[in-house]
Amino acid sequence: MAEIELKTAPADFRFPTTNQTRHCFTRYIEFHRCVAAKGEESGDCGKFAKYYRSLCPGEWVEKWNEQRESGTFPGPL
Amino acid sequence: MIESQRHSYHLVDPSPWPISGSLGALATTVGGVMYMHSFQGGATLLSLGLIFLLYTMFVWWRDVLRESTLEGHHTKVVQLGPRYGFILFIVSEVMFFFAFFRASSHSSLAPTVEIGGIWPPKGIGVLDPWEIPFLNTLIPLSSGAAVTWAHHAILAGKEKRAVYALVATVLLALVFTGFQGMEYYQAPSTISDSIYGSTFFLATGFHGFHVIIGTLFSIICGIRQYLGHLTKEHHVGFEAAAWYWHFVDVVRLFPFVSIYWWGGI
Repeated sequence: MAEIELKTAPADFRFPTTNQTRHCFTRYIEFHRCVAAKGEESGDCGKFAKYYRSLCPGEWVEKWNEQRESGTFPGPL
Repeated sequence: MIESQRHSYHLVDPSPWPISGSLGALATTVGGVMYMHSFQGGATLLSLGLIFLLYTMFVWWRDVLRESTLEGHHTKVVQLGPRYGFILFIVSEVMFFFAFFRASSHSSLAPTVEIGGIWPPKGIGVLDPWEIPFLNTLIPLSSGAAVTWAHHAILAGKEKRAVYALVATVLLALVFTGFQGMEYYQAPSTISDSIYGSTFFLATGFHGFHVIIGTLFSIICGIRQYLGHLTKEHHVGFEAAAWYWHFVDVVRLFPFVSIYWWGGI
């Protein structure tokens, strides 16, 4: 059976604490800023996408996506 | 009279003002809670309590003035009581303001993800610190200088000049309050606008309230000086007002730097 490769977002020295909320939020914002700068289909943003999907709880991602759609997302996109 | 006692302390005559102050405080607090929870009669009780408290302050302090200035009970050792007491009161006020500035820093230094991890939060209209806030920092500083001028005039025995200096102090204070009121009226955000509004208006609002109290205190000193109550050796009431005024002045510097200037960037 093939080895399943398990990976998650790398440890980021900007977020040394146990609480990685800010890490998740920063990656989410980085992904969307990358998409805004480089376009939807660019492969460069895939890295950020994987990071935020590993780090962030699904409910938060859904909530933030809804906020972005309604224009009420508070972060600096 | 003071000649018939063989000690230099002041044994105060029985007075109803402590109990009336306590009853006023009780009415104010209970009325306040009732009002905030929309119970019937809450607003009335709150207003009555506040009026009663203010009345108690007026008559109590009037008695202190009568006992000290008119009856001569305040010897040097007696004066130490109000002096130290007032300093400790100012220390307690420092604690009070410390709490609000700490609240402000808590929210602004590491903004949560719920407000987007940025400060000021998105959409909050911030005032330009170099317009009215800066002016309203220079005005109390000048007022503090005026009260020092008044103090020197009292110490030098120049009574009329001291009155003019106190008038200048009060006028500057009133100008400050006027500008601050105008700024509040025109402010782009309100106290309900996210944690920014809460911390901003609580800190600046309580500061403004203390400015009004300090102004009233200075007005009373001005009136007393005009009436000749204060001498160059004995003017504890004036010194208390001056200390309070400087305290309020210094407190103004903190929100200017941390809330208006740093907090708006």
